[in-house]
Amino acid sequence: MSEPLALPRVPAMRKELEPGEGGKSAARQRGRRRRRVLGKLLLHASVLLIGLAMFLPFFWILSASVMTYEEVTAIPPRWVPSTPQWGNYGAVLRDPNVPLLKYFKNSFIVSTAVTLAVLLTSSLAGYALAKLKFPGRDAIFTFTLSTMMFPVFLFLIPVYYILKRFPLLGGNDVLGMGGTGALQSYAALIVPFVVSAWGVFLMRQFMMTIPDELIDAARIDGASDLGIFSMVVMPLVKPALATLAIFTFIGQWNYFLWPMIVTTSAPHLMTVPVGLRLMGTAYSTAVNMNKLLAATVMAIAPSVCVFLALQRYYVKGFVLSGFK
Amino acid sequence: MSPGPTHARRRSVKRTLTGYLFLSPALVFYLVFLVVPIAMSLYISFRDWNMLVPMTGSRFVGLKNYTYLLTRDELFVIAVKNTIIYATGTVFVGMALALGIAILLLRVRGATFWRFVMFAPVVTPSVAVARIWGGLYRPAEGLANAILRMVHLPPQQWLADPNICLYSIILIAVWAGIGATVIVFTAGLKGIPEVYYDAAKLDGAGPWGEFRHITVPMLRPTILFLSVTGLIGAWQAFDLIFMLAVGGTEAGTSPVRSVIVLALYLYQMAFKNLRMGRACAGAFLLFLIVLGISFLVLRVLRKGGVESYE
Amino acid sequence: MRRCAVLVVCFCLLLGLVATTGSVAAAKTKLVWQVHWSDFQVEGVYKGEGADRKLVSKGLRQYVEEYMKLHPEVEVEIQSVPMEEYLQKVLVARSSGVAPDIYGIYSLWGVQLVQNGILDAPPAAVVKDVHENYTPVSVTGATIDGKIWGIPMEVGNYCLVYNKDLLKKKGFTAPPKTWKELVDMASKLTVRDKSGVITQYGFAFLAGWESAVVHPYLGLLWDVGGEFLSPDFKKCVVNSAEGVQALEAELQLFKTGGTDPAGSVWTFPQEKVAMMIMASWYEQSLRQGLGDKYDKVVGVAPVPYIRKPVNAGYTWFLAVDSASKQKKAAWDLLTWLTAEVQKPKNTTRLGDLMVETIGSLPCRGIDLANHPDTLNDLYTKTFVEQLKNAKPEPNVAQGAEIKTILANEIVEAWHGRKSAKQALDDATNKIDEILAEFY
Repeated sequence: MSEPLALPRVPAMRKELEPGEGGKSAARQRGRRRRRVLGKLLLHASVLLIGLAMFLPFFWILSASVMTYEEVTAIPPRWVPSTPQWGNYGAVLRDPNVPLLKYFKNSFIVSTAVTLAVLLTSSLAGYALAKLKFPGRDAIFTFTLSTMMFPVFLFLIPVYYILKRFPLLGGNDVLGMGGTGALQSYAALIVPFVVSAWGVFLMRQFMMTIPDELIDAARIDGASDLGIFSMVVMPLVKPALATLAIFTFIGQWNYFLWPMIVTTSAPHLMTVPVGLRLMGTAYSTAVNMNKLLAATVMAIAPSVCVFLALQRYYVKGFVLSGFK
Repeated sequence: MSPGPTHARRRSVKRTLTGYLFLSPALVFYLVFLVVPIAMSLYISFRDWNMLVPMTGSRFVGLKNYTYLLTRDELFVIAVKNTIIYATGTVFVGMALALGIAILLLRVRGATFWRFVMFAPVVTPSVAVARIWGGLYRPAEGLANAILRMVHLPPQQWLADPNICLYSIILIAVWAGIGATVIVFTAGLKGIPEVYYDAAKLDGAGPWGEFRHITVPMLRPTILFLSVTGLIGAWQAFDLIFMLAVGGTEAGTSPVRSVIVLALYLYQMAFKNLRMGRACAGAFLLFLIVLGISFLVLRVLRKGGVESYE
Repeated sequence: MRRCAVLVVCFCLLLGLVATTGSVAAAKTKLVWQVHWSDFQVEGVYKGEGADRKLVSKGLRQYVEEYMKLHPEVEVEIQSVPMEEYLQKVLVARSSGVAPDIYGIYSLWGVQLVQNGILDAPPAAVVKDVHENYTPVSVTGATIDGKIWGIPMEVGNYCLVYNKDLLKKKGFTAPPKTWKELVDMASKLTVRDKSGVITQYGFAFLAGWESAVVHPYLGLLWDVGGEFLSPDFKKCVVNSAEGVQALEAELQLFKTGGTDPAGSVWTFPQEKVAMMIMASWYEQSLRQGLGDKYDKVVGVAPVPYIRKPVNAGYTWFLAVDSASKQKKAAWDLLTWLTAEVQKPKNTTRLGDLMVETIGSLPCRGIDLANHPDTLNDLYTKTFVEQLKNAKPEPNVAQGAEIKTILANEIVEAWHGRKSAKQALDDATNKIDEILAEFY
C-alpha cells in the first residue's frame, strides 16, 4: 500500500470560525454528552442483539440435543428441556448402526494427512514463486490463482476415473489397469487435495515479506536452496504455516461433496459430514430427532474447539488472504 | 568461448531447475488433477454419456449439449436465475451487514469473545448447519416462527413457501458466512489511519460523511477482494441447498424449482438423469459465467482508483 | 530444520498408512449386497435396553449371518444406501470397479440398467421359479422388454392411513370412502393456531419425495380412467381431461384448507397428521414412533376414490451385477433366501423378512398366503386386500428423470403457481422430448 486514496479536502479549520458563545456551548455539551450516552446504549444494545441472533441456532441445538423426543416436537416449541436428557449422547455413541467414532477416525486421518501435505507443497511452491527467479514463474502463479475459479463439477467425474487408474494401488498394475486404484483407500480422499492453490498463494505472499538480504547472505555462506528453504525461510513463516494448517484442517473436516461421492463405493471411509447426513436417513427423523441432534452437536464440536483454541491464527489467515 | 557467459548460463539453468524442482509437487498435481480432468470434462461435454457404458463408447453429439442448455432447457434458465439471486443476496447483503457489524464491534470491548460468536458458524459443517436450521424453520414447532409471534409478525413457512424459501436459505448462508466477512472488514478498518478521521472531523463531517468519504473508499480493496471471492464461491454453492431441497427436512421441503441453483442442477443432471455430457457442458458454462463476473466486478470496483493501491 | 524433518517423516508415515490400507486380501468368496434398507430393516428389531435387549424380529443381517454359518466359504457384506441416492451409488460404484454383486432394484430404474447391460440374466431355474410362484403384479415389475431380470422382492402399494383418535375427536367414526368425503373430512380435521399455521394436518402429502408425490397422483389418474404414458411409450398423455381432473381433485384438498404443501407424512407418528396416503413399509416406523399408542391410533383403509378404487403399485427385485465375479454364489444366496421353503409355516426366509421386519408385502404366493398373523394385522391386511386394485408404475427408460419432471410440476400446482392444466401440459412437453430420445 503506497498511496492513500483521495482524501476529503480539509480546507480551513471550521472550528475557529464558530462563534464561541459560552452559555450555548455548555448546553450543547450537555446535549452532546446525553447523546453520547444514548449512542453507547444503542451501540451495546445492537451488538447484544446481533450476538444473540448469531448464537441462537447453537443455543437451540444444544438445548434440543438433551430434550426428549416429545419435547423436540412439541407445539408450541420449547426453549429448554424440563430435565436434560444427557443419555441422548450415550445412546448415539452406543448405537451400532451409526459408527460415529469410526467417522471421527476417518475424518481425523484424512484431515491430518491433507493438512501435512498442503503445508509441505504450499511452502515449497511458495518459496519458488516468491524467492527464486526463473522463466515461467509468473505464468505459474497466475495459473495458480485462476484455478480457484474452476467449478468443482468439472473435476468430480474425471478425478474419480484418474484415481481408479492410479498405478500400483488397490490391485492396479503399473499402467493403472486391473484393480480399483486409490478408490478404496484413504488416498481417494487425500490425494486430490494435497496441493491447495490458496495455500500456495498464502505462502508466497508471506514469503515475499522476507527480506532478500537474508537469503543472499545465506547463499554467500554457501547454503543450497534447500538449506535456505528449511533453515532460513521455514522458521520465519511459522505463523503462516499455523494459519494454513488450521485452515486446511477445518476445511477438510467439514468438506462434504467429494467424500460423499467417494464413499458411495467405499463406505468404510465415510467421514463425519457424510456419516451425519446418512444418519439423517438411517434414523427416521420423525422418531429420533433428539438423538440426531445430539450426533450433530458431536460433529460440530471438533472444528469449533480447534477454532476456539487457535482462533488467533485462523483469523490471521482470513486477513492475510484479503490483502496483496 | 569465454568462461563468463557459460558460467552465467549454467547458473541460470541451475536456478531454473531449482525453481521447477521446488514447484514440482504442485506442477505434477496441476497436470494430473487439474489439466487432465478439465480436458476430460471438455471431451465428455461433446458426448452423450450416461456413465453406465465406458466413456469412449459414448456417442459424439457436437455442440448439442451446449445448445440444449442455452436454448431449450427451462430448468437451466431457472437455475441461473436462482443462482443470481442467491449469489447477490449472500455476497452483497452479507457484506453490507458485515461492514455494519465490524464497525459496531470495533467500538465495544471483548473482541475475542465477539469474534468467536460471529465466527463459530463459519467452522460448523454445512450438514450440521442444514440440520440446525431445518429444526428452527419448522412452521409449528420451530423457534423462528416462535420469535416472529413474539414480536407480532405473521409466521412463515420458511422452507416450504416457494416465494420465500430461496431467501430463507440465503439467510442461513449469510449466518453461516458472515463471520469471515466481518473479520476481513475488521482488519481493513483497523488499517485505516486515524488521522484521516481526525481530519474529517475537523472538516465537520458527521458519522455518515466519514463513512462515505473515508471508510468506504479506503476499504475498496477489501470490498473488491470480498466481492470476487464471495461471488466465485456463491455461484458454486451446493451443500446447503442440496441438503435442504433434496429429501427435505423437518421443516418441509422446498419446491425444487424455487431453490435449484446451478451446482445442484449439475449434480442432478449428472447423477439422477445420468446425462454426464450435459452436466459437463453446464459446468463449462458455469465456469464462463464465473469468469465473466469476476472480470466485471474487478472492472467496476477498480474504477475509482484502486489501482493505486496495488 | 528438525521440525521440517519431523513434518516430512509424518507425511511419509501417513502415505505409508494410506498405501497399506488400500489392499486387503480376500480369501473368501465375498459378496457385496447393496440395499436401500437401513436401521432396523438391516439390523433387526430389538426390544429392551442393556442386558434385556432382545431380538424381536430378524433383519437382513441375521439371515445373512445364518447363511454364512452354513457356507463358511462365503462372506457377505451389506451396504446400506439411502433410497434417493441408490441409483447414483450403482453408477459410481460401477465405474469405480467395485460394484456390489447383489442389488435390490427399483423397477423404475430397471430399464436403463438392463439396456446398458448392468444386470446379469438370471439362471433358467430362477426364471422358471419366478414365473411359477410369484404374484402377477410383481412378475410384471421384474419384467423388462419381455424378460425376467431378477427375483421380485417387495411389492408396494398404497392405502389411506389415518389416526383413529383424531378422527374420533371430531366425531368421525369411519374413514372416508370417496375422495369427496376425504376432502370434506380433511378440512374439518385441520387445526390451525392463532396465526394460521397448521398444527394438525387433516391430510398430509409429502412434497420432498418424488414417489410420495407421483404415486398418489397416478392412483387418482387411473381411478378416473386416465393414463400416464401411451402403451408404446412414445407419448406422455397425462395432460388429458382425466389427468387434469385427477390433479384438480388433489388441489381441492389445498383449496379447502385440508392440507398445505409444508405438510409431511413423517409427522404422523407425532400425531400431527389425521390422514395420509401411505405405503405398507411405514408400519415399523409407526410402531416405533407411537409406541404403546400404536393400536389405539393407527387405522388403515382403501384409498378414497372418485370412480373406482385403484392404487399405484411398484416392485423391487433382487438382481445380480453382470460384472460380478461371483455370479453363481450370488444367485445361490438369493435362491436360498427366496425359494427354500421352511417348515412348518411354509414360507421363505425373504418372505419372513419382508413381512415381519421390513413391513412390505412379499411377492411369492406362499408368503402372501402363509403369514396369516402378520399379514392380517390391522395395518397390513388392507394393503394385501388392495393388491387386487394395484396397478404397477410403468417401467420406462429414463424413468427417474421422467418421474422427477412430473413430480416437480405437480408440486408447482400444489403451490398454486400453475393451474392443473398448465402444470400437466408443461410436464407432457418435457416428458415427450425425453421419450422421443429413447422410443
